[in-house]
Amino acid sequence: MANTSRLYLTCIRNTLEAAMCLQNFPCQEVERHNKPEVELKTSPELLLNPVLICRNEAEKCLIETSINSLRISLKVKQADELENILTKKFLRFLSMRAEAFQVLRRKPVQGYDISFLITNYHCEEMQKQKLIDFIVQFMEDIDKEISELKLSVNTRGRLVATEFLKQFI
Amino acid sequence: MILLQSPSRYLLQILSTRVRNLEKGVELDCQWIEFDDVRYHIQASMKNPNLLVLSVSLPTPPPETVFFGGLPPEAIEAIKAAYGTVVHILDPPKDGFNLTVKLNLSKLPPDEEHRQELLGKIASIREVVQGAPLKSVLKQLVSRTVKSELNKLISLVHRPNESFFVVPQADKVTVVFPMRFKDSVDSILATSFLQEFVDARRTAGLGNAPHCLWSPSPPQELKGAPAEALLANAGFVSFVISPRHVEGRKLDRTVWSLSTFHAYVSYHVKCSEGFMHTRMRRRVESLIEALDRAKPDWKKVKKAVQTRSFKRLVRFESIVALVMSNSNVVSPHASAELFFPLLFSCRASMMDVQLQIPEIEIARSAEEPPSQSVKLQNLREPNSSKDSHH
Repeated sequence: MANTSRLYLTCIRNTLEAAMCLQNFPCQEVERHNKPEVELKTSPELLLNPVLICRNEAEKCLIETSINSLRISLKVKQADELENILTKKFLRFLSMRAEAFQVLRRKPVQGYDISFLITNYHCEEMQKQKLIDFIVQFMEDIDKEISELKLSVNTRGRLVATEFLKQFI
Repeated sequence: MILLQSPSRYLLQILSTRVRNLEKGVELDCQWIEFDDVRYHIQASMKNPNLLVLSVSLPTPPPETVFFGGLPPEAIEAIKAAYGTVVHILDPPKDGFNLTVKLNLSKLPPDEEHRQELLGKIASIREVVQGAPLKSVLKQLVSRTVKSELNKLISLVHRPNESFFVVPQADKVTVVFPMRFKDSVDSILATSFLQEFVDARRTAGLGNAPHCLWSPSPPQELKGAPAEALLANAGFVSFVISPRHVEGRKLDRTVWSLSTFHAYVSYHVKCSEGFMHTRMRRRVESLIEALDRAKPDWKKVKKAVQTRSFKRLVRFESIVALVMSNSNVVSPHASAELFFPLLFSCRASMMDVQLQIPEIEIARSAEEPPSQSVKLQNLREPNSSKDSHH
């Protein structure tokens, strides 16, 4: 698992390293405003080409960049219904705690499961390399957590079934 | 606790406390619900402390299920057989309940062991009443009496407006549960649990357990059932019970576990959801820590947070600010004199506040009074890491 996803994660890491060169940039439309341009998309000259990294159809990562902000959206693989609800539950749990995570977006971009929004202020107060480490670890952890959750549901199911059937013997 | 116990724990507790403190004879009136379907109500008066009135409300049966006088078939006979003279059935039952019985505690057996046993039996009144029709079907299997209703579909209520089906045959009884869950997450988790039942049955140790099948569509046995009974969002489970599963003492346990099968699955679905939440919370903590590592001063931030709360900090600093504003009018030496008693009185008054004031530095500043700004800075020093972080 770890080996097969390494290439995907390395690719994301390299792209992020290249993309994360953000600078303070006040809004061009409204005086004294400073907004993440990637969210507003008011002026096309401030946006860069988005990069889409796909491992397969179910697993992909979209990196959108602008002059002062960067948006990373992830789609996590969901092999069956159980994984689907576990992913939904877990990512919803995370999004609800977006304030604690600072760089997490409250709502994912449409078509994705979870999104991050990194602005130049985040880059100023955190180390860029460590921030990228965090994103990559986050992706690894989500995969790990979901497979562990699935395993724990199945183990419990097996135990519950065995105990129930044992009563009849 | 993995398996559900048949005596209602709460009812048993009430009964045994009552028996123990019979001479006190306090008034009693309480209601509770078990497994989201059966409602109990127990009453006792001061006048006659030996009498308890217990009412049970069963889930409303769907149209295909037969109820005689508000009770499942053969329930009355089962109650009489199980409890004898201690329990007297009141007719009609209380409003809103299916069954009301009067318990006469003076007729309990005198020795402790038998008494506890009987109380436990009364506490599992649900098993007796609700399981009565299933028990009679399974009894026929034991005695192998061929009945006229062979292969006929019998529907028995187990949840409000929901029933499960029993198909008696000459050498086996097939029990089919249409599994429904209100919540879509519950139904998916339950589906994976039910599939584990089928897999678990195949393991070596459980060769003698009843055959267990799960299918998303209604099985063959349910051909004659009404259409609304055949809607189930978590599929259909069937158990094939053969005579060896209902021999002797096993009969009661089989009846209980089959009639509360839905509650059992639903209980474990809820448990695993709770477990998932605990896990997720732990994972969020570790991820936040990973993010904090990205901050240049995360080790300091951690320490500063541990030592002192923000509220205390504000209180202290407001006092300092007050002193400083006062010192504008007096000489620097006077400000130091004014400052010390105030500082120590504030320390004494807030005994719990552990301000780590750099006393040496204050002393030094008192000796050679510098400008205000320096003093303020000195005082703030222990918190500087926190300030810079914000």
